[in-house]
Amino acid sequence: MDYIINGFITGIKLLITGDQETYSAIFVTLKASSFSILLSLAIGIPAGFLIGYKDFPGKKQIRAITDTLLALPTVVVGLLVYAFISRKGPLGEFGLLFTIPGIVIAQIILVLPIVISLTATGIEGLDSRLKDTLKTLGAKGRQIAVTSIAEAKYAVFAAAVTAYGRAISEVGVSMMIGGNIKWDTRTITTTITLETGKGEFSMGIALGLVLLIIAFTVNWSLIFLKRRA
Amino acid sequence: MKKNPLYEILNLKFNYNHNFSLEVPELIINKGTCTGFTGPNGSGKSTLLRMLALLLQPEKGSVKINGKNLYGNNNTDLTISMLFQDPYLLKRNVFDNVAYGLKLRKGSRDLKSKVSDALQLVGLEDKKISNKKWFELSGGEARRVALASRLILKPDVLILDEPTVSLDSRSAILIKDAVEYFIKQFNTTLIISSHDTVWLNSLTANILRINNGRITGAGYENIIQGPWYFDDKDLWIKKLDSKQKIFALNPPFETSSAILNPSDIVLSTDYKRGISAQNILNGKITAMTVTKEQKVNVKIDISGISLTSTVTQNAVKTLHLIPGMDIWVIFKTTALKWQ
Repeated sequence: MDYIINGFITGIKLLITGDQETYSAIFVTLKASSFSILLSLAIGIPAGFLIGYKDFPGKKQIRAITDTLLALPTVVVGLLVYAFISRKGPLGEFGLLFTIPGIVIAQIILVLPIVISLTATGIEGLDSRLKDTLKTLGAKGRQIAVTSIAEAKYAVFAAAVTAYGRAISEVGVSMMIGGNIKWDTRTITTTITLETGKGEFSMGIALGLVLLIIAFTVNWSLIFLKRRA
Repeated sequence: MKKNPLYEILNLKFNYNHNFSLEVPELIINKGTCTGFTGPNGSGKSTLLRMLALLLQPEKGSVKINGKNLYGNNNTDLTISMLFQDPYLLKRNVFDNVAYGLKLRKGSRDLKSKVSDALQLVGLEDKKISNKKWFELSGGEARRVALASRLILKPDVLILDEPTVSLDSRSAILIKDAVEYFIKQFNTTLIISSHDTVWLNSLTANILRINNGRITGAGYENIIQGPWYFDDKDLWIKKLDSKQKIFALNPPFETSSAILNPSDIVLSTDYKRGISAQNILNGKITAMTVTKEQKVNVKIDISGISLTSTVTQNAVKTLHLIPGMDIWVIFKTTALKWQ
């Protein structure tokens, strides 16, 4: 029991003293997850809107695929992306393996179904009178899309929070695509995995606390916004 | 009437879930006029109104506006705005709801004063209500805010679907006043469906009856919905709440609706004995309005059903008719026609 308490105390010290290795992992995690979430939202929100709003042939099949991809195992994504961006792969020439852009690509594949599926569900759940109301007030095309997304803003925000939670907490993709390179592609989760394997708990606990703080902050902001609404 | 058609509808057909079809062989609505639609629930009024608002596409036939068939390219310079029976407010405050349509048009100036004017028109005080969220409004306030968000656009065509249904009397009066003021101020073409036929008749003499998806006639008439039960005396009856009965002759079906011309209803301040009419019903006058033809529509509530009788102004004076007064409503069974 003592080693857990000691690990906890040392972990806090690492955070307070600004340990470079610890903060490097935090910085890499925030950088990779922020890029992946922003790109996923930029692609996923319009795609989710179209799937939720429009009726077109094959819509049910697309919904079934995106819903299935919600449970996509991170190691499978890691494997596929690895196969594509490794030297032998079709995208090998871009040198993305063991880089942060490589992690970002894999994380986008991982979280995009979450953004698309939850946004589409939010849009589908909007009041059926909204569409005609906007049309009769003179809204067209993009104006209808923007207002509909604004009306479903809490569902869209929940999609973003859920997706972000998945991006910062995944370990498989970061490990396989990033390669866990110290000072370069080592993230919070890969560091925790490595340090735990070595029997070193302090840095793992320090990073675990940071991960929890990020998760709490993001989720509490969602709760706060919902309460304000 | 000056021929200046805005809408020209030809051979319009729309099927709804294979159970209901709306068919309008021909309908012309002229610019700057007010057209009313009456009919029982589910008769097709809202469906037709949505087509006129370009929100629903007919399966067959054409809807021309200013001579152009719009379905297919859906482009018109006209502003057509519709207030639904159960309007939806955006999840934002009252100001943003009312200003929404104007904000979409780039270069709209004096937004604040325009919103204030629109709210004032529907009897709402800008300062008190502007910052209220959509969920803080009563049903009547929400309907008036929704109306204000349409009126602010100064639409060329204003379509109102049952604007006063299920509202308290104050809200209903404020909506009616706003609509009347608005159409007098602007050359707006008003298309309106309402169960409040007395009000409808005060706005326009051009009232069309819709039943089972067909325009069955023009002018206002009372509709008495079934079911009818066979009585011993070769008559059919409709039972009312207060044990009063309406007698009818040979309805085609038990569920048929009967049409009763308001001019066929005789009003009496006393119970009449020894007359040939079978239907002598006691009711209360709920509203009175002068029609475009300078007659008076008297709306009477008889145990939950509402009938309107059209009488002369002279009859109103002689009988001292006023709202709230008890009255006897008399009509023959043969006055009931079947749809």
